[in-house]
Amino acid sequence: MKSLLASLALTTALTLPGLAIARPVTLTTTLNNYGGDGAYLALYVTDASGAYVGSLWMAGSKSKYYEHLSDWYRATGGDPGQINGITGASVGAGRTLEITLDLADALFDAGFTLHIDAAVEDMRDSPNEVAVPLTTEGAGTSVRGRRYIASFAYDM
Amino acid sequence: MKTTLTAFALAIILPAGAAFADDDCNAPRDRWQPHEALMHLARQNGWTVKDFEIDDGCYEIEGRDRDGREIEVKLDPATLQIVEMDYEEKDGKRARNPAPAGTVAPPQNGLFGNGAPPQVQVN
Repeated sequence: MKSLLASLALTTALTLPGLAIARPVTLTTTLNNYGGDGAYLALYVTDASGAYVGSLWMAGSKSKYYEHLSDWYRATGGDPGQINGITGASVGAGRTLEITLDLADALFDAGFTLHIDAAVEDMRDSPNEVAVPLTTEGAGTSVRGRRYIASFAYDM
Repeated sequence: MKTTLTAFALAIILPAGAAFADDDCNAPRDRWQPHEALMHLARQNGWTVKDFEIDDGCYEIEGRDRDGREIEVKLDPATLQIVEMDYEEKDGKRARNPAPAGTVAPPQNGLFGNGAPPQVQVN
């Protein structure tokens, strides 16, 4: 019952963003010099059970390439509605993408994970390149990606 | 009694159903921006306008973007925000691309605390 109430509280907080308490969070993603075209990056969040919750950012504007961000694509069916208003240009090798957004407080220390899928034209796809649990303690800690991402950190 | 309840239930359901069948844009006519404002926005975005019409209560532009790709853009006539944007790709296929950052509000997925668009820069 307690967990039901907790999940109900969380669901309510998540479905009513206007009422949720939020804090500004900066997501910093630095790509390594992989020597290729600009990378497509999908930043999204899953809950404690691994289910997709929503997207935070899509670097790369052409939907026909989104299938290469395969975990994100599988979770969303490539639905542009998931990323309307949060889409920008792809990110060049060696560059740093810095996103500042107001994230709902309910996302921290509650089992949510931030994922980044990456893809580069004519190079190998890299789904789940980064997966970091969203915790207040983990803020400011830099992690390495598997293929294209040299470092990722969230600060608040 | 059962009939009354069914009718009552229907009365509750129907307005929601009717809303789904509504237009894509719902701004009242007196709040619509003038045609000139739309054309000004098109010029700012580097679009060449071939055709303009009103569809489903929205402004709709057909033309080309600054890269020469064929585009079809549906805009809210009151706010001139992009409701939907389609590109024609080089291979002739039509891809439905998401609206770029800042042109519409971020998705209401509960992640964005205050609904403000993210601030982004690439260094």
